[in-house]
Parts: sequence; C-alpha cells; structure tokens
Amino acid sequence: MQYLAIIIGGVLVNNYIFSRFLGLCPFWGVSKQVETATGMSMAVVFVMVIASAVTWIVNKYLLVSFGLQYMQTIVFILVIAALVQLVEMVILKVSPVLYQALGIYLPLITTNCAVLGVALLNISEDYGFLESIVNGAASAIGWSLAIILFASIRERWAFADIPPSMRGFPIAIVATGLMSIAFFGFQGLFRGILF
Amino acid sequence: MADKNILLSEGELLVSSSPHIRAEETVDWLMWQVVIALLPAAISSVYFFGFRSLFLMVLGVATAVLTEAAVEKALGKEITIKDGSAAVTGLLLAFNVPANAPWWLVVLGAIFAIAVVKQTFGGLGYNFVNPALTARAFLLAAWPQYLAGNFPLPLDTITGATPLAILDGTAAGTLPSYLDLFLGNVGGVLGETSALALLVGGLYLIWQKVIDWRTPVAFIGTVAVLSWAFGGNGGLFTGDPLYHVLAGGLMLGAFFMATDYVTSPVTPKGRLGFGVGCGIITVLIRLWGGYPEGVSYSILLMNLLVPFLERWTVPRVYGTKSAQA
Amino acid sequence: MKKLWNIFFNGIINENPTLRLVIGMCAPLAVTTTVANGFWMGVAVIFVLTASNILISALRKIVPDQIRIPIFVVVIATFTTVADLSLKAIQPDIHAKLGVFVPLIVVNCIILARAEAFASKNNVLDSAVDGMGMAIGFTLALILLATIREVLGNGTWWGIRVLPAGFEPAIVMILPPGAFVCLGYLLGGLNLLTGKTGEN
Repeated sequence: MQYLAIIIGGVLVNNYIFSRFLGLCPFWGVSKQVETATGMSMAVVFVMVIASAVTWIVNKYLLVSFGLQYMQTIVFILVIAALVQLVEMVILKVSPVLYQALGIYLPLITTNCAVLGVALLNISEDYGFLESIVNGAASAIGWSLAIILFASIRERWAFADIPPSMRGFPIAIVATGLMSIAFFGFQGLFRGILF
Repeated sequence: MADKNILLSEGELLVSSSPHIRAEETVDWLMWQVVIALLPAAISSVYFFGFRSLFLMVLGVATAVLTEAAVEKALGKEITIKDGSAAVTGLLLAFNVPANAPWWLVVLGAIFAIAVVKQTFGGLGYNFVNPALTARAFLLAAWPQYLAGNFPLPLDTITGATPLAILDGTAAGTLPSYLDLFLGNVGGVLGETSALALLVGGLYLIWQKVIDWRTPVAFIGTVAVLSWAFGGNGGLFTGDPLYHVLAGGLMLGAFFMATDYVTSPVTPKGRLGFGVGCGIITVLIRLWGGYPEGVSYSILLMNLLVPFLERWTVPRVYGTKSAQA
Repeated sequence: MKKLWNIFFNGIINENPTLRLVIGMCAPLAVTTTVANGFWMGVAVIFVLTASNILISALRKIVPDQIRIPIFVVVIATFTTVADLSLKAIQPDIHAKLGVFVPLIVVNCIILARAEAFASKNNVLDSAVDGMGMAIGFTLALILLATIREVLGNGTWWGIRVLPAGFEPAIVMILPPGAFVCLGYLLGGLNLLTGKTGEN
C-alpha cells in the first residue's frame, strides 16, 4: 500500500512540475515538440531511478556510517554527475540506437534539479531502499507526464495569434499555471485510504 | 465558421468533425443555440434561487463581453463580441457559482476566463482549457470559502450541504429525493441543480446538431456504471447510479462544458474517449478525491489530453499505413 | 570604477537572471510564498554566487580546461553546503520552509553559468562584482514576485498586514497556479515595457 501511495503521490498529487516546482528549466526548454519531450522523459526516468538507488546506498553506507551527512550535497551532486557520465558510456556501448535517442539529453540532466531533488527528498522523507526507487520512478513519470502533455499543447499554439509581449516564456509559464489548476483535481485523492 | 473550425484541427491532417458544420452555421448561430439551450436552466435557477441568481448571470455575461472587447481593443484586434462566445463563457461561469457568492467573485472569474484563459492564448479557437471551468477552479483555489462547503438551499434563505457532500459524508443532512434532484430542488451552484432543465437544453442541442451525442452519453454512462460498481458501501455493484447521475454538476458538465468545440476532440472516437475519461475522473474524485464533486476537474484534465486523443483517433488516410497528426 | 558599476548593474537590470534570462526558475517559483522566504533564499544565493565566482576566478589560471566543470561543481557545492548549514543556524524556521531549495542552489543554472561565462575569464574583483550583481538581481526578482504573491495571497508583506482586514486574500496566489500565472504576466509586462517580443 505504501508503494501505491508513493506512486499516486509522485505522478499526480505532488507532481514535480505542478506542485513541487522541480525540473522547470528542461520542462520549458525541451517541450517544443512531443518527440523531443518524450526522449527527454525517457532519459529522466532512467537517470532518476538509478540516482535514487545509488544515492540511497551512498547515504546509508558512506555518509551515515561515517557521520558525514553534512557532505550530502557535495557527494550527491558528484555521484549524479558521475552516474550520468557512466550511463552515457554504457548506453553508447550497449545500444547505439538508444544512445541516439537519449544521448543529447543526458548531459542536460546533471543540472536538472529534479534528479538531485529526488535524491534529497528520498532522504528527508526517510524512505527505505525500495521506496526510494519507487519514488524516483513515480516522480520521474509524473515529470514526464507533465512535459509530454505540455509539449502536445504547445504544438497547438504554434500558429496562434498570441500577444507579442506574451510570446515565449511568459505564455509557457501561464500555460503551466493553467495546467496546475487542472491538476488541483487530484488534491486529496485517496486521503484517508492511502495517505 | 468554417475557417474557425479548421483552426481547431490544424496540423497536416484536416479532420472533418461530426456533426458536420453546414456552411450557413456561423459561430454566432452556434453560440445563440447554446444560449437558447441554457435558458431552461437559467429560468429554473431564478425560480429556485431568486433574483440574485439573475443578477449574477447578467453580471457574468456583461463582464465577459466587456473584457473580451477591452482586451481585443487593447491588442488592436477585431472586436468579436458579436459571435456570442464570450457571453456563453460568462453565463457558464455564473452557472458555476452559488447564489450567495459575492458579486466581485463573478466579475473576477469572468475577467480571468476571458483575459487569461482565452485572449492570452490567441482568442477563440486557441484556448486549450475551457475558460469558464478554469476560472471556476481558479476561484475555488483562491476563495474556497465561497465555492466549497454549504450552498444556498432552493426557495429558502438558509444554506445547507449539497447532495454530493452529504453522500460523501463530508457534510451532515438528509439526502434529497430523486424527484427533487431531477427538478433541481436541491442546494448547489446556480446552473447545475435542475437535471430536467439541463436535459431539455442538452437534447435540444443534440437535435439541432450543435453538439455530438457521443460526449454526454459516454460521460454520463461512464459515471453511471462506475458509481454503480464502486459507489456502494456493501461491495461491488451496490452503488446508486441514478443518484450520481442526477446530483452535482454532471448534466451541466456533460452537455455544455465537455462538448465545447475548442477544448474537446474533433474526431468521433476522440469524443467517445473524452466522455469516458471525464466519467472515470469524475467518479475517482467523487468517491476517493479531496472534493465532493469532480465534474469540472475531470473536464479540465481531459482538456489536457485532447491533442493526444486526436492523434490517436484521426481517421486513417486511405493508402497510408498509419495516420499521423 | 565605471566598468565595475556596469558589471554590477548588468546582473540587476539587463541580464537579470530571473526576469530577463529566465534561468534557474525552480527556486523563484517555489520559495516566493512569503517575502521573508524570498529574501533569505536571495541571501543564500548572494553568498554562494559571490564566493564561488571569487574562488573560481582566483583558480582560473591553474585549473586544467578539461576538468574545469567538475571543479566548478565542487566549489559551488562546497559554498552551497556552507550556506545551507549557516542558514540553518541563523534562521532555522526559514531554513525548514525553504527545504530542498537551499541545497539545490548547487544545480541552479545561474551559478554554473556565471562560473563558466564570467569568472573563469575575468579577474577576481570583476568576478566578485559580477557574482554580487547577478545574485542581487536574483534577490530583487524574488522579493518582487514574493511581494505580489504575499500581498494578494495573504494580505501581508513580510508578515505585516498591509491590506485592510476587509480584504479577502486570494489564497491561490500562494499556491502553484498563482506562482506560475503571476510570473508569466510579470515577464510579459516587462517585455511590454522594454519592447521585447519572443517567438511562440
């Protein structure tokens, strides 16, 4: 049951874009087309799941064991940066096709605050190993849902007569706000049952 | 109208929508049909909630029309208030507030609907979510004290819980009878209470081929089946589908909001999927969500899926392997 | 001296990271529910950005080009940790409200962008002024956004009631939709004032 709560929470109720404000730069940056948004999403899911697992292990067996929790930020960002490099090399070796699809997005992910964000939140929420992985996956899927929906909507207003000063970032940000209003419908979902 | 409707299906593929819009049917004609269809509900609202109801409706329409004109003038665009779409948005917004709402709530909601949700995105045909519903959800998040909790009871000066809130267990009270629900003799926002009046208007729109029967039938049907299956306390299929169909904003949402041309799919299958999706989310929110009613959020959330519903349901072009949009 | 002023004001006006370049937007949206939160977030960023710009500029001649990014990241992460722990000691309540957004300064694009684009190419004094200007620009943007949100959403400014008791605050302004809509129109308004237009 607690896994179901984490999944519903991560994907819908506490969506990283619409409720937690994490990973906004790539959300607005790579959402001009559904295809690129989908590619970015796959890369993010991939990295966030692995990062959740690795940072949890590093935290428990390195930082906590040696009383180095104050080093958390430094260690986590280095782990994530190294991890992204490693993932990039492995994908290149194992599947050139996948590399072609994800390759250009991977370097962007190191500075995606959703990845470091989920690693830090896993620890502050006191999640266990499996819970951290599920939370990493659910948060990433929620982020992906948001960016793919956003990209599909954004494609539609390519030809719209938007007021000149609202074009670009302003309209994208207002649209994100309207989407977050719709996502308010999920507030309190399964409260008292799962949460 | 023709070009306005094509805008909705821009892209490589031109999807012909059903019902087919005849050439002489202009936006003006369509919107006035919607106004006519909303009249029974408006009249029953005035009957049950008094002249305050009429005041709020006039205020909503006037503010929406004025906002549309002002924004279009400021942007140096053609003034399009004669097409009636702003008036319909204003009326639908007023339908979504209770009779005891302060007047400024309706004014701010109408401004938000037209200026933010519609005109910022390029005007009629380009808003990706329903303006009236988005404004209502925005007002609910801003001033929950007026849009959640107790609403005025009909033919009375006191407020009480809505039927869905009682059913939800979040408020105390006795459940009204089916007849009261059907006629609209229950607490609620202005335009949602009378299932009869909304049904008359909705059937008129289907008869006039202004709206497609698929969306409301799929929407209401899904709510009926799912509330029957999961809505009871005694296990599966012990729920009360009739109650769920008649109570709350389902009739208003299914006939008048989920069928909005701009924010619902143009393909027949897409419309079926849209209705089913709305039904699923409505029941999800009603039974397990944080609000007693889920109709408006379900439509808003399905609005976000419209590009995909259309992608998945465009008719295959003859001679190609798969359709692309 | 004039050059230093230009560097300083560049980050506040022309290249304001939040309102003109629109980078590193997570914190500006997340922490601006109250002016106090926005201010302390700004203070943390002023410290991290100025300190990292100084150190990176000082090291610019001895850091090999190939490994400069990892080194920048370690420098920034170190100062972020100092800011995080200091804020926790000075303002524990605010620190708790800012949550993960203080440690997340390390992945804020503004900091790395200034290290890469400015500090690694300029002398220590210029880099310090650049970091301070950018971070003060960030802070002012946060205070502006937080002012709108706190006044409309709660009727207060830095906790002090500024609107009459009869005013019914629009709670949505301190919720996510209010943050997005408010920022969107703020940027649009600035575009209108400066005659800048974007693409769809």
